[in-house]
Amino acid sequence: MEDRPPSDAVLAERARRGDEHAFGELVRTYEGIAFRTAYLLTGSPAEAEEATQTGFVKAWRALPRFRAGAEFRPWLLRIVANEAHNRRRSAKRREALGLRAAAEVASGDAVPSPEALALEEEQRRELLSAVNRLDDRDRDVLTCRYFLELGEEETAQVLGVRRGTVKSRTARALERLRREVEP
Amino acid sequence: MSELEHALLALGRELAVPEAPDLAPRVLAALEPPARPARMRLAVVLVAVLVAVLLAALAIPDARSALARFFHIGAARIEVVDELPAVEPQPPELDLEPALGERVTLAEARRRAGYDLLELDEAPDRVYLGPRDSVWFLYGRPDAVRLLVAQTPKLSIDEAFIFKKLASVGTNVETVSVRGKPAYFLSGEPHEVILLDQYDLPVQETLRLARNTLLWEEDGRTLRLEGDLSRAEAVAIAESLR
Repeated sequence: MEDRPPSDAVLAERARRGDEHAFGELVRTYEGIAFRTAYLLTGSPAEAEEATQTGFVKAWRALPRFRAGAEFRPWLLRIVANEAHNRRRSAKRREALGLRAAAEVASGDAVPSPEALALEEEQRRELLSAVNRLDDRDRDVLTCRYFLELGEEETAQVLGVRRGTVKSRTARALERLRREVEP
Repeated sequence: MSELEHALLALGRELAVPEAPDLAPRVLAALEPPARPARMRLAVVLVAVLVAVLLAALAIPDARSALARFFHIGAARIEVVDELPAVEPQPPELDLEPALGERVTLAEARRRAGYDLLELDEAPDRVYLGPRDSVWFLYGRPDAVRLLVAQTPKLSIDEAFIFKKLASVGTNVETVSVRGKPAYFLSGEPHEVILLDQYDLPVQETLRLARNTLLWEEDGRTLRLEGDLSRAEAVAIAESLR
């Protein structure tokens, strides 16, 4: 008996053949991470929503060129990130990211992670402010690696650079950030 | 993982991110029947038309004669043989520099590019690392460009597409040869360049000069020369890259 949901690869292949229902499954699976990606890159809910929706529609159009066996998520996030970048460029600015309200954090995270405990409120605000001051290239790589928690390979695919570039860019961005936050 | 990296991870989990909207119905309503797979791998699409204001802002002052003096045309070597004339700065609101990428030194570009750069004898005035590991050499100043040389790995050119699409939008396409390899000299109507990357996703190359362009593939990369160059000048410069 086989009742596991079909894998991304199966859904992508069905969608490639024109199955809108299969594509709908992929949209529902990935709209959360796609929207989060677009939001963290633009800082604007409205731009993020547009970028995500357009990204999905473009992905559908590009499906005939999606390579069988490739990972669907980074391919999709790449398209969405491209859209987000285009919108950010048109707007000529990126909205600063903000922190959740303290109450929201408490109710959302019943058991705070050790990392969260380690970071005091004031430090968090300072760190976020320093991230917001970084240039787009530095901020994008840190966003992918730490705010979206993507691995190096996936970050490379989403940003359209080589893995080695992700490594070096991350190291440089961390160094710049360290200089910003350390007295 | 360093303390700073832990702090960033923690921060990421506490960012105020709005709840994702339910996009599936809207996305599905916007779908069209899927396109048939492209018959060939498209790689270069040149789309006509930059708005007049953009053109005006990006226009290079008439530097053809200066370039003829600057580059020893017809030989495989580039020499500075005359002083370049003064050129008028362009409006600051359309700055070319951000479109080119991160400004680095030539040495840093050589180190970080991940491939051996093809270079002219004359060192560029500015060097940028752009998206997709592209490297841009700028001769002149961002607001008064004499020549741009770009190299981007993992992109390729589809001859059939160039001829089919470009001829129809008023861009002249001439086939030339750079070191025995086919190359395309694009002139006439200004154009934007769209390339497809290794994932077959369109990469819009906007806000470059969109002047006469020589485009060719060599050594696993796509190369472009842009400037107010004649065909012979462009080929001579291209052949002096090493």
